[in-house]
Amino acid sequence: MSILIDKKTRVLIQGITGAEGSRACREMLQYGTKVLAGVRPGAGGEYVEGVPVYDTVEDALKHHPKINTSLIIVPAKNTKDAALEAIFAGIPLINILTEYVPPIDSSIIVAWAKKYKVRVVGCSSIGIISPSLCKVGSIGSAEIRHMFKIGPIGIISKSGGMTAELAVVLGKEGLGQSTVVGIGADTICGSDFVDMLQLFEKDKETRATVIFGEVGGVGEEIVAEYVKKKKIKKPIVALIGGKFTHMLPSGTVLGHAGAIVSHGKGGYNSKIKALEKSGVVLAKTPEEIPLLLKKILKIK
Amino acid sequence: MKLYEFEGADLLEKYQISIPKRQIVTSIKDKVDISFPLVLKAQVLSGDRKKVGGILFANKKSDLDKSLKNLLGKTISGEKVEKVLVEEKIKRIAEYYISFSFSGALRAPVLALSKKGGSGINDASIFPINMIIGLQPFFIRQALTQSGFQSKDMNPLCAIILNLWKLFVDEKVILAEINPLLKTKEGAFFACDAKIDYGKRRSVETMDGDIAIIASGGGASLINIDALLEAGGRPANYAEYSGNPKKEFVEKITGEVLSRPGIKACWVIGGTASFTDIYETMKGFTEGLEKVNPKPNFPFVIRRDGPRTKEAQKLLADFAKKEGYDFFIYGSETPMVETAKVVVNLAYHKNDRKDKK
Repeated sequence: MSILIDKKTRVLIQGITGAEGSRACREMLQYGTKVLAGVRPGAGGEYVEGVPVYDTVEDALKHHPKINTSLIIVPAKNTKDAALEAIFAGIPLINILTEYVPPIDSSIIVAWAKKYKVRVVGCSSIGIISPSLCKVGSIGSAEIRHMFKIGPIGIISKSGGMTAELAVVLGKEGLGQSTVVGIGADTICGSDFVDMLQLFEKDKETRATVIFGEVGGVGEEIVAEYVKKKKIKKPIVALIGGKFTHMLPSGTVLGHAGAIVSHGKGGYNSKIKALEKSGVVLAKTPEEIPLLLKKILKIK
Repeated sequence: MKLYEFEGADLLEKYQISIPKRQIVTSIKDKVDISFPLVLKAQVLSGDRKKVGGILFANKKSDLDKSLKNLLGKTISGEKVEKVLVEEKIKRIAEYYISFSFSGALRAPVLALSKKGGSGINDASIFPINMIIGLQPFFIRQALTQSGFQSKDMNPLCAIILNLWKLFVDEKVILAEINPLLKTKEGAFFACDAKIDYGKRRSVETMDGDIAIIASGGGASLINIDALLEAGGRPANYAEYSGNPKKEFVEKITGEVLSRPGIKACWVIGGTASFTDIYETMKGFTEGLEKVNPKPNFPFVIRRDGPRTKEAQKLLADFAKKEGYDFFIYGSETPMVETAKVVVNLAYHKNDRKDKK
């Protein structure tokens, strides 16, 4: 099957009238995703790509009770408000694409999501795709959507850009994906590697997982702990970026908000050592990943 | 982006946290109005200034002149000292550590406390903040008690911590640290060093090498520079644009990265984008390139794929032909990290140009 999203996914887009929101809406509809409604305060009654727009999440749910996923693409300063609105409306899966959300706002979103048992993916997520079933967000847009093919590999990536690159590299070797998730690389994230790995662990279709990590945070170190304790048993191939960052001062912020150079815990060596020790297979380049996967899964 | 100590001190003062009397001195001719004894602190961003003599003391005028002369113009961890913070020396009976930062693992902001000032966050007790109720005074009192603080310090410390929290939230910083917080015999408290970090990034981070890099994708940029090092290349900078950048932003980065002297090649590198308009970003690149003076005569290796790639590649090829540039253009058929070898070859072994397309 897949994780997080499938044929039963029914989507609400908060921020549907914006440039990115309407584009994501169009792309999702083209992919076959069921987008039932959108929200934009003040634009109730309008339509975007034939999808009705409401002023509030509550109102959208009243008219479309089957909505089970919200995609949030609103300005950073409005993201906390939009996410809390979705959480309090009881939508069980929220995918936040907005970048540069202040970490203090993300921590408030995460705290309430935990209390109400809502799963949040993001902020700064590129989206989620279960190839040929459903896609939510900007992941696999336009002609790129054909690069994601159905298959036995789960992908979890801090980097949005790397999701398509990894799908291309795996596809060249005939390896498709069950689900590809962009978890974002903010300081405070709704879902980390381990949260997604635990879902892939239960997914019958997924035989192995690829994780793309980078310097900053301790998400990769936590993966190592779980693997070591055998809480995650399916094979994992990891590619970690930022070996060169020893050349930059500690505290330097790289491309992603959470990619902060550290020469200790959270740094490149700390992650590599922990993962290596735990038994996670490390790839040196993207192209090595499918070769390692085929070896592990004994695929010729 | 970290603040200098004196900027941090101004910010603490704005949030009603007591700071010793202080003054910024930029020349030995500046008149110091604070009475002795004094502490003189070089204003640099490096955390090791104390170890390398960046903090000095003065009990009389002759000490002050000598120490100021010593500090001004000194270089600490590659940073020239241009300002010295002169501060009244507070007679202390204790030094504490207080900070707010974020824990990715706990997915919450954390209060860190230690009765040993001077040492860092690693020796402090960590208290994650419940963001459903926000930071409440009772929580601070519990944290202080658990960390072994005296009951008579409870109320003044609680007030300081609440003010620091207000700064942390309102200024949207990722670190607000007072280290040390000094306690006087009279029971007053003074923040004697502040570390405030906004966590913002600069568009370009300068490095020592000679291959200019214009990378896209936060993650891809990292593995690509790793690959460049592996191939024997020396990066001149780290520069990255993500998402769907405005053409003007790409243009600005291009100008900044290529204007440095000593560049031997330029690598425009990125993965297969999902939604970035490749044509727009490459247009920004060529427009930035047109403005670089003197006109670069080194080779360019460009690898990028995604929406509107074909149009982008045509634009690049036409531009190179018209303007007389050496462009080596690749798409997703060539692995990103392969092009690291290409750019290294072109930069350092000019005769070996078999890869030209």
